[in-house]
Amino acid sequence: MQTIIEPRRGWFGRLGQALTSPFQPEDYLALINPVASAREIRARVTGVHRETGRAVSLTLRPNRLWPGFQAGQHVMLGIDVNGARQWRCFSLSSAPQSGTLTVTVKCHRAGGVTEHLLERARPGDVVTLSEPAGEFLLPARIPDRLLFLTAGSGITPVHSIARYLENTSFDGQVEWLHFDRRYEDVILLESLRELGRHSQLNARVVLGHQAPLPGDEQGRFDAALLAALVPDAADRQVYACGPAGFLDAVSEWHRAEGRAPLLHERFQPLTKNAGNGGQIRFSGSDLTTEAGGGESLLEAAERSGLNPAHGCRMGICHTCRCPVRGSVRDLQTGESRTVDNQLVRLCIHAAEGDVEVAL
Amino acid sequence: MGYAMQQEHDPIVFQRDGVSLTRSQVDAFGEEIEALRQQVMADRGEADARYIRRVVRFQKGCEVAGRGLLFLGFLPPAWLAGTGLLALSKILENMEIGHNVMHGQWDWLGDPNLDSAHYDWDNTCPAEQWKHSHNYMHHTYTNVVGKDRDVGYGIMRMSEHQSWNPAYLFQPIYNWVLALLFEWGVAFHDLEIERVIRGDKSREQYRKERKLILKKVRRQVLKDYVLFPLLAGPFFLFVLSGNFTANILRNLWSYLIIFCGHFTERAEMFTEEEVEDESRGQWYLRQLLGSSNLEGGRLFHILSGNLSHQIEHHLFPDMPSNRYQQVAPKVREIAERYGLHYNSGSLRRQFGSVMRRIHRLALPSRRGAAAVS
Repeated sequence: MQTIIEPRRGWFGRLGQALTSPFQPEDYLALINPVASAREIRARVTGVHRETGRAVSLTLRPNRLWPGFQAGQHVMLGIDVNGARQWRCFSLSSAPQSGTLTVTVKCHRAGGVTEHLLERARPGDVVTLSEPAGEFLLPARIPDRLLFLTAGSGITPVHSIARYLENTSFDGQVEWLHFDRRYEDVILLESLRELGRHSQLNARVVLGHQAPLPGDEQGRFDAALLAALVPDAADRQVYACGPAGFLDAVSEWHRAEGRAPLLHERFQPLTKNAGNGGQIRFSGSDLTTEAGGGESLLEAAERSGLNPAHGCRMGICHTCRCPVRGSVRDLQTGESRTVDNQLVRLCIHAAEGDVEVAL
Repeated sequence: MGYAMQQEHDPIVFQRDGVSLTRSQVDAFGEEIEALRQQVMADRGEADARYIRRVVRFQKGCEVAGRGLLFLGFLPPAWLAGTGLLALSKILENMEIGHNVMHGQWDWLGDPNLDSAHYDWDNTCPAEQWKHSHNYMHHTYTNVVGKDRDVGYGIMRMSEHQSWNPAYLFQPIYNWVLALLFEWGVAFHDLEIERVIRGDKSREQYRKERKLILKKVRRQVLKDYVLFPLLAGPFFLFVLSGNFTANILRNLWSYLIIFCGHFTERAEMFTEEEVEDESRGQWYLRQLLGSSNLEGGRLFHILSGNLSHQIEHHLFPDMPSNRYQQVAPKVREIAERYGLHYNSGSLRRQFGSVMRRIHRLALPSRRGAAAVS
């Protein structure tokens, strides 16, 4: 996860470069301003807001290398854990028009990067960012009727889209159903309520494990519930984001009934849907290991003592791509295929039989 | 009979200075060194990251303060302090930061500012070239005469295995010219002019490398000898002389540390035949015997880029340099257990020993001396 970004310089900047060669003027500016850099997008944490017990929103002010983003995009956040930089992917939840960025981090497992952020992030910290990426975007001509379907941390990119619409001349109507277990689990709840006060946006929380307040609903996503809550759902362009099971259900409904496009953003690999596994040989280091069907090639490599380059661990950033030969299974789609030294994202593929990885 | 059997299965693969080791002994030695490496590498963490970033901040601070003071160089104390701080900055940057970063010691941080693939140092030698001539040629073939071009840098006779010619009579003198111009020697010695003359290296390759060096040289000269002096306006000469002196001081210091690392009297040289089919254990053994350490305080070690732990650096070139001090006693203990000489002494003693070698080898070797190895 290292893309070297070069700043553009005028004649004054070039003089600075000549005076500081072979370094950059920013290497010296960093003595007084820690986000100054000529190589990487650094951002200062200006706010830390606890959303729920397990989620925190960070407000970030990036340096001038940040190119701006479009609503719905995600970014890789680089955080130093025990000295070594770790990269994880997060959706930007703020409106692109504002000067700061917001990412909402939900902790998935103990000891991970997200937990490190949850417990240690303080205003004044400096983090590193990748350039924004992602195709979960509004079209150039925004349709009049939209349907947002979100669950869990899938709320974040859609929140960015809603905040973007709020600041444009959008004159259509949006229905937003957010699915979660309880109110305590809903990240960005306050902001969701605030957005819901606009006449053009009808935002409702649908709870699975708790009695809803007036205006909200109870249940799990299915076609019947959707038909009851949003009668014209099939004619609305859909933006869906959430865990794999939820997205599968949305896709199924859309295949049967949808008449307008569906865009969805998937976050986690389907590691539970286990295949057969197999034997992995790491050809560059002469190591062999047996891997289960749910274990990614990246996890197997790390378990064998290797330290391959990697970033998001969810198939987004392509940092871990590596030549692989043999039969692999895509943990996101569940499909198997045979590869012959093609580049494979190690984090979302598992062995399905004998596999050779060039590590 | 028993002895002959053992010889067959476990032959002696190392014999020098009355110490002989069998293959299994050399392997065991290698495994102990390797285990030491694994132990430290697994322990790298936040404290190491903090250390190197602190050194970088300090060095950048010295650079800014030094260059700033030199603008007031018409005041003698400001000139002295400015020159001193700039020399200190260059020494820290070249030795504790640049040299070690380019070895990949800090790649594990994942920080593009301290990454061996992108780093370039404040020196006339381009990083790309240095990584080839130093990291690869010198560190792989350490002290192998004919392979390691750092043995005498193609102009000095540092080993009996190099045949003598009358030009070497002057090496006690031009040794000091090399010391003063050390960064230039380092930059241009990779051109391997003698190999181009002999026809072993293509002219095209030579021209490509020369272009790269000259590009870096232009930038370095422009900065230190044109732009900064011009910015000082009427005090042009004060800044120019300060920058020049700082560069010379850095040259002398790095020359001193580096010569003490491999050219003390007891640092051993090897022939190409000796290193054919070398095992990992034999490689470790050669690194140990070809290097020599300098003793001193913590500040001295940092200023030397921790090359005062030349032995540890050669055993573990990609281990963060701040860890050498901690592994050194363990390496020494292992070496002594195998009866191997651990070459360590004060700067004064080791440099005296280097001087003796330079003077001794300026003269032709006595008959038979070359066969000692």
